[in-house]
Amino acid sequence: MTAVNRKWYDGMLTTEDWWAVWLGLIMFFAGMLTIWGIDLVGWMAKTKTWEWSLFWSDPSWGKLLSAAHGKAGKAYEGLGGLGALLATYVVFTALTCLGAYFQKLDVKRFFLGFTCIFFITWGAWVIGHEAHFKALKTGQSITQSQVWGDNLYCMTKVHKCTKLINKAIDKQGVREVIDAGLKADATEAEIAAAREAANKVLQDKKVKKKTIRMSWGLQLGGGFSYMLALFIGLVIGNFFKGFAGFLSEAAKPEWFIKTAIVYLGIKLGLMSMKATGFAMELALAGAAATFVAYLMFWPIVYTLGRRAFNLRRDASAVLASGISICGVSAAIATAGAIRARPILPIAVSMLIVVFAMIELVGLPAFYATVAPDQPIVNGAAMGMTVKTDGADAAAGAILDEMMVANHYRATGELWESDWILSAAILTKIWIDVFIGVWAFVLALIWVYKVERKPGDSRVGASEIWFRFPKFVIGYFIAWLFYVAIAVWFPDAIKAASSGAKVVQSPMRKMMFMLTFVAIGVITDFSKLKGMGRLAILYAIALFVIIAPIAYLVAYVFHHGMMPPLVGGG
Amino acid sequence: MNADVEFTLVHDGRQWVCRNDAITVNGESLAELDEELGRALRESGEYPPGSRLTVFMGFDFDTIPTWLRQYHDHYFNRLVSINL
Repeated sequence: MTAVNRKWYDGMLTTEDWWAVWLGLIMFFAGMLTIWGIDLVGWMAKTKTWEWSLFWSDPSWGKLLSAAHGKAGKAYEGLGGLGALLATYVVFTALTCLGAYFQKLDVKRFFLGFTCIFFITWGAWVIGHEAHFKALKTGQSITQSQVWGDNLYCMTKVHKCTKLINKAIDKQGVREVIDAGLKADATEAEIAAAREAANKVLQDKKVKKKTIRMSWGLQLGGGFSYMLALFIGLVIGNFFKGFAGFLSEAAKPEWFIKTAIVYLGIKLGLMSMKATGFAMELALAGAAATFVAYLMFWPIVYTLGRRAFNLRRDASAVLASGISICGVSAAIATAGAIRARPILPIAVSMLIVVFAMIELVGLPAFYATVAPDQPIVNGAAMGMTVKTDGADAAAGAILDEMMVANHYRATGELWESDWILSAAILTKIWIDVFIGVWAFVLALIWVYKVERKPGDSRVGASEIWFRFPKFVIGYFIAWLFYVAIAVWFPDAIKAASSGAKVVQSPMRKMMFMLTFVAIGVITDFSKLKGMGRLAILYAIALFVIIAPIAYLVAYVFHHGMMPPLVGGG
Repeated sequence: MNADVEFTLVHDGRQWVCRNDAITVNGESLAELDEELGRALRESGEYPPGSRLTVFMGFDFDTIPTWLRQYHDHYFNRLVSINL
């Protein structure tokens, strides 16, 4: 018998939710040690942008990967690309297997499955970093193409490229020549001189290393890796079901994404150091929007289920919670609160997982195309529409990459990355946080009103705690810690950022990538067969009610909010 | 609160089933299950007539698909008072 909910600390060692907190905080504390000059996370592998013809002319792991250490961890340089990858594999396999052991999973199956998922993930990640897929054009190529040409791409972050080129221009003292070639009424001779100067600038050693001329490039940023990982996962999940079954013990998208969200707390903390006001505004707008959406979604979907689809009270309530609130956990919490038969949350959870995948595939491109000038609104709407943490964070990450790259291509203006993703996650987290309270309220209504039998059952306020999503604790600890450093110890910001950057960037992105592969592996679209009225109601409610209302509410609370520009420009 | 007697609770697709080593009872609704359980406890003769028992029913999550078991904190156990 599974006796649960008897002590406040039940599940701390045995649930995925708590293990996301532990994995998150272990790396958070390890990263934090850079404040005292100790780098315990610099072994983490990170991907590099590479170009296939250059790679094949002289193949090496160092062109694809490197260790992510900061100044305090120079010693990790010796690992090289392959060594860093193996170190990453060993550390994360050990930690996740430990978690699997305490969660009573089959550790041997988990180990084998995780190993496959890990290397599939890194394969997709590295391929996605090939320059023709990933690299963005330099700012000069977008806004000054008559001098620089329109085929100059960055092999590093765009703002770093721009900085390097500007530095080289000043070093060579050719700014005036280049500016003369950029004038609207420039003569052919001036343009030719400017082009010659620009070519010399591109021969600068540092600039040459970080830029490349290519005949074509998709300019998809990091989004291509995510889409590739998802595609591979879906192919495995739907066409290689035997292999998917083999991987299933380790395909834990919710665990991976919740861990990534704790790491994202660090990122938000770092971003808050630079833009505290905006971060707070985003958090408060997200909370308000969530609250408003909450009050509208549930009664509408519940009424639709009862009146239009003649569903029983319990089926309507479970479905309304699953689709309106936070997906699987809400469906189960509601089923628990109203004592519904277990088949209901199981069926609704299957719908939630499959439809979340449909949203993940379709919504980022839809929002980015329909509303390219509303990045934060799009992110917040995503958080209120996609009903699993994994799919929401994944969709937010794709949307972020897509919108930042699209906006840069269209305007030459570079938004800071991850603000759109943060908007998507913040709204989702507020929704998750409210589930405990909502389940408690529903339990009270059911016990004391719908199935009134005074004295027979009790509803304890402890139910709120048991249903509280624990990974949120890790997220807020990480976020508020870095806000506290910015406020009380501003001198430590630089040192604190060094380790934090490793955790919030390559580690977080790896957890995202693992999520993409895992979520694809566990999604089997054939599960929709035989779901009948529930599936139809779910589809109607999602696309006709939830998505439009979520967008409207997100617009009301977030319109006009824009991500800061890179470099504060 | 400590329970006087503990049971495992499952749903077999048609009825709720509550059992321990000594007693197994079924009911289409939880109210019916509680009534049946009260009768079975009275008939067992182990508890004095007229007494009030606190019964714990822990849902057996082994009957749920493995991918949902991580959410077991969200589902329910029951603590019910039954007058014999």
